Amino acid sequence: MIPTAVTSDPPGVPRLAGRGTPLRERFFRLGLRASLAVGVLFLAGLLTYVVVEGWPRLDAKLWTNFPDIIDPSRAGARSAITGTVWVISLTALYCLPTGVLTAVYLEEYADRDRWWNRAIEINIQNLAAVPSIVYGILGLGVISRGLGFGQTVLTASLTLSLLVLPIVIISSREAIRAVPQSIRQASLSLGATRWQTIRRQVLPAAVPGMATGSILALSRAIGEAAPLLLLGGLTFITFNPTGVHSQFTVLPIQIFNWISQSRAEFTALASAAIVVLLVILLLMNSLAIWLRNHFTHRW
Amino acid sequence: MNPPSRHGPGGTPPPLPAHLAAPPPSETVFEVGGLSVFYGGHEAVRDVNMNIGARQITAMIGPSGCGKSTVLRCFNRMNDLLPDARVVGKVRYHNEDLYSREVDPIEVRRRIGMVFQKPNPFPKSVYDNIAYGPRVGGFRGNLDDLVEETLTHAALWDEVKDKLRTSALALSGGQQQRLCIARTIAVEPEVILMDEPCSSLDPIATAKIEDLMERLAQQFTIVVVTHNMQQAARVSERTAFFGSEIDRDGVRHGRLIELDETGTLFSNPSDHRTEDYISGRFG
Ligand SMILES: Nc1ncnc2c1ncn2[C@@H]1O[C@H](COP(=O)(O)OP(=O)(O)OP(=O)(O)O)[C@@H](O)[C@H]1O
Ligand SMILES: [Mg+2]
Repeated sequence: MIPTAVTSDPPGVPRLAGRGTPLRERFFRLGLRASLAVGVLFLAGLLTYVVVEGWPRLDAKLWTNFPDIIDPSRAGARSAITGTVWVISLTALYCLPTGVLTAVYLEEYADRDRWWNRAIEINIQNLAAVPSIVYGILGLGVISRGLGFGQTVLTASLTLSLLVLPIVIISSREAIRAVPQSIRQASLSLGATRWQTIRRQVLPAAVPGMATGSILALSRAIGEAAPLLLLGGLTFITFNPTGVHSQFTVLPIQIFNWISQSRAEFTALASAAIVVLLVILLLMNSLAIWLRNHFTHRW
Repeated sequence: MNPPSRHGPGGTPPPLPAHLAAPPPSETVFEVGGLSVFYGGHEAVRDVNMNIGARQITAMIGPSGCGKSTVLRCFNRMNDLLPDARVVGKVRYHNEDLYSREVDPIEVRRRIGMVFQKPNPFPKSVYDNIAYGPRVGGFRGNLDDLVEETLTHAALWDEVKDKLRTSALALSGGQQQRLCIARTIAVEPEVILMDEPCSSLDPIATAKIEDLMERLAQQFTIVVVTHNMQQAARVSERTAFFGSEIDRDGVRHGRLIELDETGTLFSNPSDHRTEDYISGRFG
């Protein structure tokens, strides 16, 4: 049997009981939990609201039918969904190679003591903070009118590429920088060239990090309405894009358009489309988190 | 391109290739003359003169910061990778100036391999670690055979033959370091430079690496930096002692103080600073 309750401490034995958690620390923890709760509650509230509002219209017609101004019960977001897929795929096609190669140049080749390399770096950091509407103006002036691409998928994806390029570059650079110098030294000391080292060691080790950053960048692009609205308010499109020179609409613009209609049926339609957009975003972000947890190297 | 010559496979360390079997005792691999290395404006080592003989182990010892790693990196032009490092003086490899314009540092590093202080296997399989050097060098032979021979040669085959496809990062620290040595010999260099290869290992792993070094020294020229004087005494034929000096302008820089047969340097050093250091009376 284990002896129960010791009534008094034998003399000379140090006591280990402390004074418990200090009050200040308890307040601090409470504060942390409260801030977390604010975020979670807002998200939960938002989700509940759109699901409840959009529930009547979360049906198959949402992705089989095209928009319809006259009869909201027959209207769907088909052209917006396919438009979003088109625009985001092309955006990825343009900005991922450009962004990754720029990051490789800046991390592996650029001599940081040269003023032009430092200027490029500062520029990229600042570009990441430029409001998206400014990219819309750029797209309208230079790509749509200047290059004459008009209100097309091409213009939209080029504009969005410019918008997220700085984010792709910055996150790719971080992923490349996280590859330890000792790996590069090992490769070079075996007689590999600089390019072989980058191609066979640095890039493969950096891919998970770069993919994570790129997906997060693309999910920012998917939700953008402002720059695309500027490109010509392409809100009523009743056909799928057929190519890069096709006119198009995307989910955020379609949502914007329905919300601004006065009839309640259109508002429900907008909520249903928001649910679709959120689901796409959640899937992309989960993919990013999964990639980060499963493939990132711990050195 | 000719594939590099291979030694025969086998469970025990293979016999030496004929052209390496009887080394002429006095063959010199490196001749270093008036070598100084600067980092930015700071002179890290000054006026080093030394020769390194073929197929023997040369140890470099001395207090921290006196430029041992710096000199070692001059032998395979790893200093090129540090943007502000500048090498002055002469490093001749078989009578060819390593720093002349025509010399391709990639080719240099194929002949003169390097093992680092911290084991740095690639985050790939054991097999791919060994195969990496030959692959980037355009090896066209049978890679499976090459990997087996190399690992056997490095006395690692029995330990890893069932783990060839698992990540090298799953090996123990000592195994990782021996894998790094194996990876280096897979490209068949002539020289292996080692910068404190055992400093992160326990005594047993260290002993295994020392064994390996002694066996490899029959075929390769080895230069090893170490802080472990027993290690230098155990494995090396010749030992170079580096120290710090402060010149008349108050600038501290590394110097080669003494280079001699290891036995002589430890038992009967000619410079009192060497004697102070090896008897623990320095600083
Ligand atoms: N990449 C670098 N940039 C600038 N200075 C450097 C660099 N590497 C070494 N140094 C300097 O050169 C000197 C010699 O350094 P080195 O690393 O060669 O010494 P070491 O003898 O190998 O020391 P340790 O035994 O601690 O490894 C030191 O003063 C160090 O600060
Ligand atoms: Mg060192």
